[in-house]
Amino acid sequence: MKEPLYEKDLISMKYAILESRRHDRMVREIAADLGVPQLRMRRYLMDRFDMLLLENLPARYEQGKMMRQDAPEPERQLGAHLYTHAVPLIGEERMAQILTGVKEMVRGGTSMGQAVLSGKDRIRKEIIT
Amino acid sequence: MKRTVDVSIPVGPVHPCWKEPARVKCETRGELVLSAEVELGYMKKGIERIMRGRPWQEVMFLAERVCGICSVIHNMVFIEALEHISGIEVPERAALLRVIVNELDRMQSHILANFSYCYTIEHETLGMYLLDTREKVMDELERITGARVTCAYIVPGGVRFDLRSEDALHLRASLDALEQNITRYIGMFEHGPLIALRSRGIGILTRDAAREACAVGPTARASGLAETDRRLMHPTYQKLRFTPVSREEGDNFARIMVRFQEVLQSIALIRTCLDTLPEGPIRGGGIPGAGEIAYSGEAPRGELSYFIKTDAAGRVLEISIQTPSIMNIEACCHYMLKGVASLADVPSTFVSSDPCIACTER
Repeated sequence: MKEPLYEKDLISMKYAILESRRHDRMVREIAADLGVPQLRMRRYLMDRFDMLLLENLPARYEQGKMMRQDAPEPERQLGAHLYTHAVPLIGEERMAQILTGVKEMVRGGTSMGQAVLSGKDRIRKEIIT
Repeated sequence: MKRTVDVSIPVGPVHPCWKEPARVKCETRGELVLSAEVELGYMKKGIERIMRGRPWQEVMFLAERVCGICSVIHNMVFIEALEHISGIEVPERAALLRVIVNELDRMQSHILANFSYCYTIEHETLGMYLLDTREKVMDELERITGARVTCAYIVPGGVRFDLRSEDALHLRASLDALEQNITRYIGMFEHGPLIALRSRGIGILTRDAAREACAVGPTARASGLAETDRRLMHPTYQKLRFTPVSREEGDNFARIMVRFQEVLQSIALIRTCLDTLPEGPIRGGGIPGAGEIAYSGEAPRGELSYFIKTDAAGRVLEISIQTPSIMNIEACCHYMLKGVASLADVPSTFVSSDPCIACTER
């Protein structure tokens, strides 16, 4: 199929949304949590989300952070709900695979911290590649 | 991002049923809507940037210009945030007058939202009745505050004008007429068979989806989330023993009915305020100072939050405004519109969430 002629490039407007103080703080926190460069994270958000989801992200992120506190391990440390539902960086199926991998590592004798780091590494690769 | 899909149908940015421009791109299979994406940027004001660095005396006027429909609550939340920063007390009479004006504003906003919905489903008769009723509410707002839209009625430590006894009597008489009319319109809406065809079971937002999208206001309360009403946390409303309205259906019908019920609730709240209005000053005084706060209030469309940082002179150093429409339009486009069986239901479902693009593109 051909692309419609009236499609606009929304990148600059999406960037303007992410420049706001609350958005900027959120991007920095997520980037630090997942170990992704901030610029890369912004680009990923702009590519994947429409303008309205971007506008609503800080509210969703705050809500997701609250729900993260009540989640069981290792979902809490990994931010399974936060990064699939509140801020949908990766799909549910992919997160389920990562989560299964982390649980298997823990069952295999790896420490919880190490297994979660490896899980976050896989999320990071999803975002960077 | 540019994407190629099978059939992408744009609705808007200019649409006869929408009050403001926004473009909803629907990806469809036949009549079924698979997903929807929103494009904004047709009326961006950049008002937060304009506010930054200005004294509060200027920002309070800018705040109510964020939205022309719910200007009173922007004024109220900004001023109450300043009062919380600076520990300014409000006299009881002024606090109740704020509730009266805020509820009148909510009534006109809800009636306008329901008019838009009726117009969208082509029930113009009820729509015009509602517009006529809204004018009566606007007249009362003008009588009390001196203006219809940008009232600037609420100031730090109180309100600008007192309620005269003849205005109170006029307001009571108007409320009686409004209650009678709104009850009649609710009957028309509730029992209209064609309205039910276009409204019941359409654009469903489940309780879980509403929670996930952080939906607020009547949109959330129509999906059973009564606790989202910020008036529950407001001290004056707590004194008035406020209890929120909610429904469980989560469809277009429920959202409109919640607004109708809230109009009746606002009438009851204003009556209670008039009955209990004590004599006394309407301005307590006080000067806004330095501080930082995140403060929320219940706008007609839901939770409105101001994040403010001020200096010792009351100058606004940083400000961020989170308007309810941001959450509600997102809930509408990413949850309600997904799976809508007919494209004809897209505008009505969109309008049922009472989208305010002026708020969203503040």
